Amino acid sequence: MEASQGGTGKMVGAQVRRVEDPRVLLGKSQYVDDLDLPNSLALAFVRSPYAHARIVSIDAAAAQNQPGVRLVLTGADIAGAIKPLRVEYEPAKAPTHKPCDWPVLAQDKVRFVGEAAAVVVAADRYAAEDAAGLIDVEYEPLEPVSDVEQALAADAPLVHEEWGDNVMQTLQAEIGDVAKAFQEADCVVSERLTTGRHMALPMETRGCVASFEPATDTLTVWSSTQVPHVLRSHIALVLDFPEHHIRVVAPDVGGGFGQKGHLFPEEAVSAYLAHRLGRAVKWIEDRRENLSASLHAKQQAVQAELAVRQDGTILGIRGRFVGDVGAYSEYPWGSAFEAGHAASSLPGPYKTPAFSFEAVSVATNKTTIGVYRGVGLPIGVLTMERLMDLAAHKLGLDPAEIRLRNMIRKEEHPYTTIIGAEVESGSHRESLQKALDILGYQECRAEQQRARAQGRYLGIGIGCYLEGTAPSSAAFASMGLNLGGYESATVRMDVAGKVTVLVGTHSHGQSHETTLAQVAADELGVPLADVKIIEGDTNAVPYGMGTWGSRSAVTGGGAISRASEKLRNKMLRIASRMTEVPDDDLELAEGMIRRRADTTPLMPIKELAHRVLVQAGSLPRDEEPGLDATAHYEPPPSTHANATHIALVEVDSDTGQVTLLRYIVVEDCGTIINPTVVDGQIQGGVAQGIGTALYEHALYDENGQFLTGTLMDYLIPTAIDVPQVEIGHIESPSPHTPHGIKGVGEGGAIAPPAAIANAVADALAPFEVRVDAIPLTPERVLGWIEQRQAAA
Amino acid sequence: MKPAPFKYARPGSVDEALALLQAGGDEAKVLAGGQSFVPLLNLRMASVESIVDLNRLDDLAYIRRDNDTLCIGAMTRHRQIEVSDEVQAAQPLLCRAAAEVGHLAIRNRGTIGGSLVHADPAAEWPLVAAALDAQLVLRSQDNSRTVAAREFFLAPLMTAIEPAEILCEVRFPVAPAGAVWGFQELCRRPGDFAIVAIACQLTLDDSGTCSTASLAVGGAHSTPLHVADVEPIVVGSQGDAAVLTAAAEKAAAAVDPSGDVHGSADYRRRMVKVLAQRALKEAWSA
Repeated sequence: MEASQGGTGKMVGAQVRRVEDPRVLLGKSQYVDDLDLPNSLALAFVRSPYAHARIVSIDAAAAQNQPGVRLVLTGADIAGAIKPLRVEYEPAKAPTHKPCDWPVLAQDKVRFVGEAAAVVVAADRYAAEDAAGLIDVEYEPLEPVSDVEQALAADAPLVHEEWGDNVMQTLQAEIGDVAKAFQEADCVVSERLTTGRHMALPMETRGCVASFEPATDTLTVWSSTQVPHVLRSHIALVLDFPEHHIRVVAPDVGGGFGQKGHLFPEEAVSAYLAHRLGRAVKWIEDRRENLSASLHAKQQAVQAELAVRQDGTILGIRGRFVGDVGAYSEYPWGSAFEAGHAASSLPGPYKTPAFSFEAVSVATNKTTIGVYRGVGLPIGVLTMERLMDLAAHKLGLDPAEIRLRNMIRKEEHPYTTIIGAEVESGSHRESLQKALDILGYQECRAEQQRARAQGRYLGIGIGCYLEGTAPSSAAFASMGLNLGGYESATVRMDVAGKVTVLVGTHSHGQSHETTLAQVAADELGVPLADVKIIEGDTNAVPYGMGTWGSRSAVTGGGAISRASEKLRNKMLRIASRMTEVPDDDLELAEGMIRRRADTTPLMPIKELAHRVLVQAGSLPRDEEPGLDATAHYEPPPSTHANATHIALVEVDSDTGQVTLLRYIVVEDCGTIINPTVVDGQIQGGVAQGIGTALYEHALYDENGQFLTGTLMDYLIPTAIDVPQVEIGHIESPSPHTPHGIKGVGEGGAIAPPAAIANAVADALAPFEVRVDAIPLTPERVLGWIEQRQAAA
Repeated sequence: MKPAPFKYARPGSVDEALALLQAGGDEAKVLAGGQSFVPLLNLRMASVESIVDLNRLDDLAYIRRDNDTLCIGAMTRHRQIEVSDEVQAAQPLLCRAAAEVGHLAIRNRGTIGGSLVHADPAAEWPLVAAALDAQLVLRSQDNSRTVAAREFFLAPLMTAIEPAEILCEVRFPVAPAGAVWGFQELCRRPGDFAIVAIACQLTLDDSGTCSTASLAVGGAHSTPLHVADVEPIVVGSQGDAAVLTAAAEKAAAAVDPSGDVHGSADYRRRMVKVLAQRALKEAWSA
């Protein structure tokens, strides 16, 4: 049911059209590259062709003399002027963490193919690239560290000499008696698997425009970023420039998925150059740079075991996750975050009495890894869901049945998990059951049998997850990370009763201009069209954390609700004086001040607004003038979304080719603000998860040479490779958040590797293949089949 | 990802284009649809002194049947071939192959001539040109010659064309009576270059017995490879499984693949066998 855009009914939950769509669909969005400032110069970076090499010398004379070239800078030129990016955790909370410097231009050596060694500033990007090609960097190649096995060897070359080895961080935990659980188990299954290095790959690559206005001593950076305030603070830090003289603007951003939640060397260099030259500079990276020099993600080697009773009841889980974090540490999060996140997510929605894990983050001479949609969860969930299928197979149980037996039940909420998270509400069994119903599980099993008789291999794979969304400030503090989890919003009413919302989140595809406006419209009783959402300008919006971690509906929505509540209370207090109705008998709805009991309209909101803001002499003397309010919202320690994904695949046993026939998601993100937006998040997330499962692989050879520098080599699923996802919804509102919102941004991408890997294993059950790696490339899948055939 | 500087000319006639090429010597390059060449320039994997852009040469964009020969102008776009009734009637394998070239936007711009001269061994046009024994008409300012497709391809991205020559026309034999064909392509995603592709054409009599056979392999050799040894195995047979297996094994033995990130040499060789079997079976069951 679609509510009309001008309506004033309940907006949270309504399937209103996306406010952003006309702009996006007509090509009217304004991205960073659309900003053309007068006299702007373009940057091109000279990037290392070596994985690991000492810089002997850099000769930039020929480049300096090129027409149009304004300046060439090397690492030596900026040492001291721009601090290196250095991720520091609180030592007491992260005693094994080793920090490293990421120089914004390489200093003594380069540590991955694509690392920036120099920058050219020229009249345009053509001239900058021409000159970059003339810069002669003499390298002395060093032995590269090309994988974690080599990195952990005793005599391994060192990525960061000061560490003494290549281990960035080791996290360990044991909760419950794991050894006993494994001793007492009727059945133990184990899994070793590796995941492919891949990446967020936003359609809009990274980029920024920086300008400096001497008259106001203001440095302005327009960046394709998810985190404008975080960027501002860290630019101030690394340039040692006063933060109150920096403005960061994130205009329309064409996707981020975690990659753009950072300060990058190129942004720091751009800001520095704008200040130094007193000219605007533009850096728009190309696709090759994005593939090789932004951030990669999720390459891990996993070993895990599951101990169960005869009836499938889980007794214990243990896992070891080794992450290949690449050369540096994503700033300011820290690249060691991912492996720990993967490891600690193992138990998922299953009741687990004993659990231990180890997460080791290892540096190599590759592009640095960084947070990407779901962070470690897709790997943790893949591992656990493979273990569940292996256990089911060994015990002769149906894969759905073993999950249903172990899942947290509805009546058990709030349920405290083995890692101490309070799961406030959820629908684990219900979502699985509903997904099976949508699939037509029994019919599909029958079809699978018929197909096998004809030599066709169909497979059904289940992936279930529990996702902690919208992490709180305390959650980061417990890990020693210097990051906040709160959010801020200012809500302003103008003289016509229209509302402007300024919020610290940032939308780069999430549709905040629609969903957050729906929240504000309900809170203030105004039509949706009377609400304008403003994000992404640090001079306009209060200090906030930006958008990542499935957080914005919870935290941005929460801050808007709290700020609106303050404003609403003030409006009702004033209206009470004017109408002589007690304020707790008043409400804001349908653009009116109404009597709550019988919904009698007493005064239009716009009349109240006009009287407060313009005819201010009539304001009661004890009321402060003005109609705006600001709130800072700290989310609860935990909100938890859950979902079940089911993939139906066919595998060609002669070629190894996997075809996705159907894909089903039943999700529960608590209260849905807008079903269209949630469906879009699911469809898009699943597309990226399909990439993880089947296609995406950032490859290096044994010399650390990067092999997938174009989209002909690095494959992502296109529109024709992604089925229309069949989506079901269940709403288990959070009792702890305004409106019961939980967050949905990452969910779609979390379970596809698990569901698809399980489906392929299921399809190839007659061959008894062991699915031990993703992506599931045709050659790899065929190799598994042939290995088993050779063994037989 | 911006190209290095180059000179650019857009001639209005073939003669003018040939004169520009002659004058440019080794340093002038022809631009057809640009679907491979322009990315190579942007990646700076290719750089040239001057470009002669053929996109104004409408008289090189045509499809014409001349008795038993189907003549296609080199600047004919993939999509024009894909949807041509005349091609469908004369040699339907070409429509089938055209539909596999890249994606629609690429097919609307890319040309058959550009693809043949670019000579990617995994591309569709070199493959079907080799399978069907197409003849390529090359012109320079003072010469015109015809080269068999099976002789034209020398190595990956290398052909027998001279720097001053333009490929003007591609001549395919019209499918004879009783002709059937098979086309199989394995790629990671629809629209990608093939890991392996097979094109074959057979002529069958009323009893289903094969009288002529031609099969070529793409993606698994330094050039598109016509496997002549397949014909004696297949001719005279009715396509029973043992014959198909023997023919496919012959094709797999003939190739010398190299590997890349999408498939190793070994995988490609094995896929030649799988796809050759399927292509022959497809032809027989047409």
